[in-house]
Amino acid sequence: MSNAYIPFPSTILDVIKHTAQEYTFRMSYTGDVLPGQFFEVSIPKYGEAPISVSGIGDGYIDLTIRKVGRVTNEVFEHYVGQKMLIRGPYGNGFDTGLYLGEETVVVAGGTGVSPVRGVIDALSKGESRDNKYVIVGFKSPDDMLFKDDIKQWDDTLNLTLTVDRATEGYEGNVGLVTQYIQDLPLSDPKTAKAVVVGPPAMMHFTIIELKKKGFVDENITVSYERKMCCGLGKCGHCRIGDQYICLDGPVFQYDKAKELLD
Amino acid sequence: MGHLDINVGKLKKNAFRYSKVRGETASRVRIPGGVIDAASLEKVVEIAEKYGNGVINLTNRQGIEIPGIDLEDMDKVNLELQPVIEALNINQTQENGGYPASGTRNIIACPGARLCPFGCYDTTAFAQKVDKEIFPNDRHVKVAFTGCSNDCAKVRMADYGIIGMTEPQYDPDRCVSCGQCVDFCRRRSVGALTLVNGKVVRDTQKCIGCGVCVVYCPTRAWTRSEEHYFRIVLLGRTGKRNPRLAEDFIKWADEESTLKIIKNGYAYIEEYIDPNAVEHKEHIGYIVDRTGFEKFKEYILKDVQLSPKAEVAQNIYWGGKHYDSF
Amino acid sequence: MGFVIPRAAFNQIIETLARRYRLYAPVRKKGAGRFLDTDVIMYDEVTTADEIVFDAKSDYAFKEALTPLSEVLFYFTEATTQEASFDNRPLLIFARSCDMHALKRLDQIFLENGPEDVFYQRRRELVNFVLMGCANSFDNCFCVSMGTNIAPDDYLFSVDLTAEGVACNVQDEAVAALFKAYGEETADVVPAHVTENKVKVNLPEQVPFSVRTDPLWDEYTVRCINCGRCNFVCPTCSCWSMQDIIYTDNGNVGERRRVGASCMVDGFTDVAGGGSYRKKNGERMRYKVLHKIYDHRQRFGINMCVGCGRCDDVCPEYISYSNIINKVYDASKEGE
Repeated sequence: MSNAYIPFPSTILDVIKHTAQEYTFRMSYTGDVLPGQFFEVSIPKYGEAPISVSGIGDGYIDLTIRKVGRVTNEVFEHYVGQKMLIRGPYGNGFDTGLYLGEETVVVAGGTGVSPVRGVIDALSKGESRDNKYVIVGFKSPDDMLFKDDIKQWDDTLNLTLTVDRATEGYEGNVGLVTQYIQDLPLSDPKTAKAVVVGPPAMMHFTIIELKKKGFVDENITVSYERKMCCGLGKCGHCRIGDQYICLDGPVFQYDKAKELLD
Repeated sequence: MGHLDINVGKLKKNAFRYSKVRGETASRVRIPGGVIDAASLEKVVEIAEKYGNGVINLTNRQGIEIPGIDLEDMDKVNLELQPVIEALNINQTQENGGYPASGTRNIIACPGARLCPFGCYDTTAFAQKVDKEIFPNDRHVKVAFTGCSNDCAKVRMADYGIIGMTEPQYDPDRCVSCGQCVDFCRRRSVGALTLVNGKVVRDTQKCIGCGVCVVYCPTRAWTRSEEHYFRIVLLGRTGKRNPRLAEDFIKWADEESTLKIIKNGYAYIEEYIDPNAVEHKEHIGYIVDRTGFEKFKEYILKDVQLSPKAEVAQNIYWGGKHYDSF
Repeated sequence: MGFVIPRAAFNQIIETLARRYRLYAPVRKKGAGRFLDTDVIMYDEVTTADEIVFDAKSDYAFKEALTPLSEVLFYFTEATTQEASFDNRPLLIFARSCDMHALKRLDQIFLENGPEDVFYQRRRELVNFVLMGCANSFDNCFCVSMGTNIAPDDYLFSVDLTAEGVACNVQDEAVAALFKAYGEETADVVPAHVTENKVKVNLPEQVPFSVRTDPLWDEYTVRCINCGRCNFVCPTCSCWSMQDIIYTDNGNVGERRRVGASCMVDGFTDVAGGGSYRKKNGERMRYKVLHKIYDHRQRFGINMCVGCGRCDDVCPEYISYSNIINKVYDASKEGE
């Protein structure tokens, strides 16, 4: 019997530094994987941390890691050419096919951009791009992730980039992601799709705005970050109600997600 | 009332009080360890109603005092007290003669392990056991037992303060590093525990054996030692000259040694007490102030076989209040 | 096959079985309780029948045989990962009906929820049961309400200590051969089981969402001290946490282990960066209770709780979980 707990080695192909705290590690990987899924990244002797897939390419996955815990701090000491032990992918991930032909709004905040980066990429490469709206928010210009991608999304999609508070020299939008929702020029909010990922409070208020705009629960998709420890439905930490985030999530339709009370 | 001719010394030695109210006395009912059966307490009530003035004093040292007794009724009260004395298993010099009074005070005990979750031994039983060994005795000695380092019995105000200890036993295989022992040791005790590599490390120098870790462990990773241990603290006192808290003498002492140490103290008193002491009573602490601690230690450790675990203080320095200027 | 044999003969059978199996049974640990001179009945390996406690409910459950409180999964060196070895001798567990039912719940989590858990599975394969009959209900038991008062059939033999001798329903051929050496087969022996408990619970078929935010939980924010004892004694609680350990300060050797976890204890939901959920103890109580009597059933078809009542036995704050179930039932009726 294969042991699902044993991680496999993966080589660091590239390290992209977004901010002082956030790097993307491009890791060698071949196999099925979807945006929104996650891997358990393991530094033997330090532990494991669940990290969302922030990009998928030929022979690699991107893991964008924030320096916030014991394991993730250690990860930052790793460089191109070195190996890390990973296991996964876990969780359901996003079905990007759901959005390609539809009027779609993606709202992402902070590190929440990681799990939807693959979704936005798919939309930016899709056929009908005019009815795709992306609102991306960060705390400040210094916290911005995926700057290169954002430039490209700005060219191909209807992008709104905003920060909660500006720094000197910054000339873009200032304000929470929620304040841009009512102005979206949607043809029919009742049938439009939305994807919302970010910190709990940001998701909460974004959904309120979307519903005010006319969105229905069934058309809103969210991704829930919880303490995913084993990734295999065993350790119990990520369970909410009858759902195991690591198996059944982290991506949920909001009509289901709203019934999940922590 | 006829002519009163009372031997006050004899009265005091018979556990009656010299009262400020002329013609009256109070009967002092000593209750070793502070536990009395309900029937005896009813008897006390009966005496208070029949011979006293209908009230009962609870004393500072867990005894009872029945005030308002006519000095002429002492013999009758003694007769009535006989069943109480028997129920409390008091060493008596003369049947139906009431309580033999003493310089040695009633032995105090907190409720201990009979009731208290933190109790590390049966304080009542130990108090009663020591009572049988040292009573009656004319020398002024205070002994007090408390179940754990909380010291609810305030044993640090006594000549011999006995504080219960347990040596926490740790089974790392049952430990899930929930951290509650570490947290509660810090918040309720001395902070002797730390989590290292997911398991708990106990600083044996810091640990006072209070058992808080055992009480709060949800998995039984922490349990109590089979042996009961004691911290013996010495020569605390109240009073007019130099009130002070008792200081630590031995930690991780065993029961037998503890008993012997308390008993041994009397020979020292006989040898060194001030022959002119008022009413032949002198706190041991003041005697030790004169002879030095070494001499006292020599006496109390006579024939005491401490276990290798016991740690004995080489020297003790007391502080406390001196009424010299303020 | 039924046998009623003298205790001495039974003791000899157990000693023989101890050579074939690791016997795992409730034993009395003198003085191991929280308080002085209090005992704890917990599971441990035995070699004789006299060590086994038949006349009381165990304070802790048998689950530790399958999901140890602390278990090493791998050893690491700089470049290698090696699965930890384990005791692979067959195991014979003495358990009551409720606990045998609990096994099914553990199986659902470790074998049916996502991929199989190898570390569980390798132990699970070794497990056999002896059913300890329950002639009487113990304090706080509510197995009848939970439908777990009659044991599943997969035990080698049952044990009931009766005035006539040790009554056993032997279902395993090899064990039956042992019994035959000590006595004649008698008429069928039916393992004793409880048909009524003093404690009864009403189980809500549906728990409306409104019950999750009902004020009934607020009381426990104040009363519960989030110690997690209820989880650790529960035969069906199986949550755990991963831990990595380095043996020396700068060494390259270490281990990855898992240890028991409790949804009531602080830290259960902590995520990297400092976030956590269910900060109030009332919320944790709601999370635990609804898992036991509803959420697990929604996923796996059966209630997780088996009604052993150990959580009520152990709670230092006298919180009655069975009483909470009845409150949830009432609130669910109102919410319909």
